[in-house]
Amino acid sequence: MATNVFDMCPASWKQVISEVRTWARLNSIWAVHFNSGSCNGCDIETLATLTPRYDVERFGIKLQGSPRHADVLLVTGPVTRQARERLVRTYEQMPEPKFVISIGSCSISGGVFEGCYNVGGSVDEVVPVDVYIPGCPPRPEAIINGIIQLLTHVKEGTRPVAKRPEQTAEVASSQQERVVA
Amino acid sequence: MNTIPNLWVLSIIPMINILIFPTGLTLILVGMFYEWIDRKLVARLQNRIGPRWFQPFADIVKLFAKEQINPDKANALLFFGLPVLALSGALTAALYVPLMGLAPVHSFPGDLIVTIYLLSLLTMSIGLAGWNTRSRFSLVGATRALTQTFAYEAPFMLAMLGPALAAGSWQINEINTYASGHWMVLTQPICFLVALIGLMGKLELPPFDAPEAETEIVAGALTDYSGRGLAIFNIGKSVELVIGITLIASFYLGGLGGILPFLIKTIALLLVMSVFQSLLTRLRIDQTVGLWWRFGAILALAQILVMIVWKGYFQ
Repeated sequence: MATNVFDMCPASWKQVISEVRTWARLNSIWAVHFNSGSCNGCDIETLATLTPRYDVERFGIKLQGSPRHADVLLVTGPVTRQARERLVRTYEQMPEPKFVISIGSCSISGGVFEGCYNVGGSVDEVVPVDVYIPGCPPRPEAIINGIIQLLTHVKEGTRPVAKRPEQTAEVASSQQERVVA
Repeated sequence: MNTIPNLWVLSIIPMINILIFPTGLTLILVGMFYEWIDRKLVARLQNRIGPRWFQPFADIVKLFAKEQINPDKANALLFFGLPVLALSGALTAALYVPLMGLAPVHSFPGDLIVTIYLLSLLTMSIGLAGWNTRSRFSLVGATRALTQTFAYEAPFMLAMLGPALAAGSWQINEINTYASGHWMVLTQPICFLVALIGLMGKLELPPFDAPEAETEIVAGALTDYSGRGLAIFNIGKSVELVIGITLIASFYLGGLGGILPFLIKTIALLLVMSVFQSLLTRLRIDQTVGLWWRFGAILALAQILVMIVWKGYFQ
């Protein structure tokens, strides 16, 4: 990459510009929602987050139709074999900087669908995940909390190093064993 | 020594007029403010709290800071040039309208026609952009946007013709002066409604948002736009919103004599528009075209006929 106008600015200007940029990114999150094989529970909760009861537009969060317009990819459900390629393509269509939030137990570990003939696995095996929101399904408050976790990382200027909640995976698989038994 | 005032009058003042005030930067900021008012009113009508006052500004800055993707098979020159063309068309149109109740920067007989054509440059750019992107969603969106243009453009023009006939002039400034003594919303209510709803069609607001129906065709013609291009298109739309309601307010609502009447009248119009937006559901594209040609155009024509007969009879 050759020199651009930003590189030619003095250091103090650069700082101001990057502060304004971070402020704008914090206050304007456009999301695109992708269902990779969910049972619709998490989708209903995601919609409840976006609709008037919780109204996230007051924080600047808006649902967009096109991945080209979006900053955050909200993935719900385990990744089925059919959805795998579409998920990768949706992720790759998004412009940088982009983040992925995986919503619900199934998207973290496969949940009750783990081991099914048509299920490929969890979301983080396909695309890099920044924030995990456990729950079956997570409440809208939990989803908003997950977005705030993402925002704190954006504010510090670091890529969030998400810790996969192993406990939830264990709980889910024990649930599954109970169901099977 | 004589050249300095000439330089000042001939180049510096027009430059300030174009770049900073009243068009250019000021108009863009006013456009964002009006976009916020619109979103806030719609949110309040839907029983929500709605966005904060700096929301459109944050959106635009964020979009400018994002990566811009040029899709394969799209002509790069057109892809990056069309948003700029759309915004420059809208900003040029602003030179001829009485923004913030001030006299237009530039005025000549017949500038009403020029303004209306410059305002449709945005729709044309959106249509071309959708065609250029070569994505199926943007193609359908572009087709719908252009079809809709043919539907509302003629009735909107007829609705603008009404006040022009009454004032006996094609010059926006003269119509504005004439209108300050005549509330044409009372004498030409049908044309007023057609103009207001035509403006909503121009801006692709609900119920005329079939070109960007997010439940069917993702985001219409702008599906593949990201970052800067999308930001410039968004700015163009909010600028056009301000120019459109300024035109309608100055023609129908008793003229714009100052900053306070400007604010009151335009925000009142915006309130009516947001009520329509939240009240009505999206029309199919054939319903839109049918509505305009069956009702909009014929009613506006009838109104103008009445006007002509009235004028011929009494004068």
